[in-house]
Amino acid sequence: MSVAATRPETIIELRDATREYRGHAGTVRALDSISLSVSRGEWLAIMGPSGSGKSTLVNLLGCLDRVDAGSVRIAGKDINTLSRKELDQFRAETVGFIFQQFHLIPYLSALENIMLAQYFHSMTDRKEAMAALERVGLGDRAGHLPSELSGGEQQRVCIARALINQPPVLLADEPTGNLDAANQQIVTGLLRSLNQLGHTILMVTHDPEMAQMADRIVELHHGRIVAEREVSLAPHTS
Amino acid sequence: MRHERMGQGLSLPMLLRRSLLHRRSRTLAELVSLTVSAAVATALLTLYASLDLKLHHQFRAFGANIVITSQNAGQPLPPDALAIARQAAGPDSRVAPFAYAIAQMQDGSSIVVAGTDLTGARAMDSWWQVSHWPENNQATPVQVLTGVRAAKALGAERFFLTYNGKSVPLQTAGTVRTGDAEDSRIYLPLDAFESWTGVTPTTLEVQAAGSTRQIQAVLESLRLALPNSHVQAVHQLVEAEANVISRTRSLMLSSLLLILLTVAICVLATLTASVLERRRDFAVMKALGATQRHVGLLFLLEAFVLAMVGLLCGYALGCGIAYLIGEWNFHTAIFPVWRIAPQVALLNLLVAVLAAAVPLRILRHLEPAMLLRGE
Repeated sequence: MSVAATRPETIIELRDATREYRGHAGTVRALDSISLSVSRGEWLAIMGPSGSGKSTLVNLLGCLDRVDAGSVRIAGKDINTLSRKELDQFRAETVGFIFQQFHLIPYLSALENIMLAQYFHSMTDRKEAMAALERVGLGDRAGHLPSELSGGEQQRVCIARALINQPPVLLADEPTGNLDAANQQIVTGLLRSLNQLGHTILMVTHDPEMAQMADRIVELHHGRIVAEREVSLAPHTS
Repeated sequence: MRHERMGQGLSLPMLLRRSLLHRRSRTLAELVSLTVSAAVATALLTLYASLDLKLHHQFRAFGANIVITSQNAGQPLPPDALAIARQAAGPDSRVAPFAYAIAQMQDGSSIVVAGTDLTGARAMDSWWQVSHWPENNQATPVQVLTGVRAAKALGAERFFLTYNGKSVPLQTAGTVRTGDAEDSRIYLPLDAFESWTGVTPTTLEVQAAGSTRQIQAVLESLRLALPNSHVQAVHQLVEAEANVISRTRSLMLSSLLLILLTVAICVLATLTASVLERRRDFAVMKALGATQRHVGLLFLLEAFVLAMVGLLCGYALGCGIAYLIGEWNFHTAIFPVWRIAPQVALLNLLVAVLAAAVPLRILRHLEPAMLLRGE
């Protein structure tokens, strides 16, 4: 059961968040006065077609960009007030990224890829990294390069890397988009158990079935939230 | 290998090493560009530093650059003029006396005969094309160096010449060809010439070593030492030397700058391609909390390491190239000039830094979310 269901403390809050991009063809409003709250421990699915503003929202929620107007508060901090350096540190401490393409560094082993997140956060701890790898069932693959791992294994390394600094927020971008059915199941199970442990998950997905795993689904279109609905708890208890 | 990959921890040197070794072909391309840059800079700067010496050496082969004659044209110089001139010109200069007379051949026609220090003339006029220099000054008949036109007129290696009614037997030891007046003359050792003709030197030819300024100093010194003689520089030669050196220096500097610019563009292209290829890796690092400084430092350190390795390889290669160019063009070896090493290092670092500027800009403007979403 999700932590959000028992204690709805807000961890992410967007208020009239607007982000515009200026180009030769004029100004494009990628996000148009979005307001959104996410409770601690909630699993939120973000859906929408290409160009709907999902990337921009991922940028903002991942502390990789700032709003032009409005505000984004994550774990009580207005990210627009943080300096660039503070924002980098805040990102390392607060957000763990899980990517569709895994994005492991090709010349580092599975273990070292996890330790890389520790390296940019504070300091490396081999034992802790090894434990994270074991938690995703890849203790015996520690010395393997990404090219020596299957897609599912790479995604599990990516999840272990996202978790290593114990961030309160996990940002998962199409986490099962590149996986076969068996690996999808493994990764979905991992995300579910993480959510049950209290991690807040923000998941961008095109897959309605995957979205059903979340507590809530938000749909974007032309930079605006066009639909928002709660999901029944049934899938969580399977 | 797999055990090694598990390592004990991550460090910047390890990340650098892995990154460089992983992209072997790209690393090699960057290294080759930076090695070429250092090699070109080393070779050209070494040549530039040795240029004066080598070109002065080359110009010395064109003979005297100062001529001393009597105030009254054709009159003999004072008997001690040669000794005074040698002392005033200094140990690095060469001085050769010349005395001239017009003698008669056996058929009655006239020929110019010159008495000189043949050893001195040989050293000074190394550009003369001589088949064989007379080596024995005491031989009988006297061994002479005969101009090619004079040899043709004489028609024999052994011959008699007459001056003021006194005939001497002479023998051609070798011929000289210069394309000028020397081709019609006969050169005798000065002692034999003086005892035959009684004529003493009317001209001293001086070959002063060094730069135009040093030649000017020797000229002044000779003028002071021989106030009653006419001391003048062979201006065409001195000016030509100064011009050639100045133009060659400008040419070499321009070439160096152009080549370095070209190399910098090559390195720029390689480094830019390297960043573009790995922009997702850098984006991941940023998403994991790497600051702009972290990512920039990692990239700059890669460029720095390659620049330093390129510098070492390029310096050795450049010294070799300069040595070979010296051998081929000046027929003397050009050895490494250690004092240019800091300049080469600075130039190579400058090339690396300039070439890294654009990739750094790309890194600064990386949009991790876009890249990591594959957009």
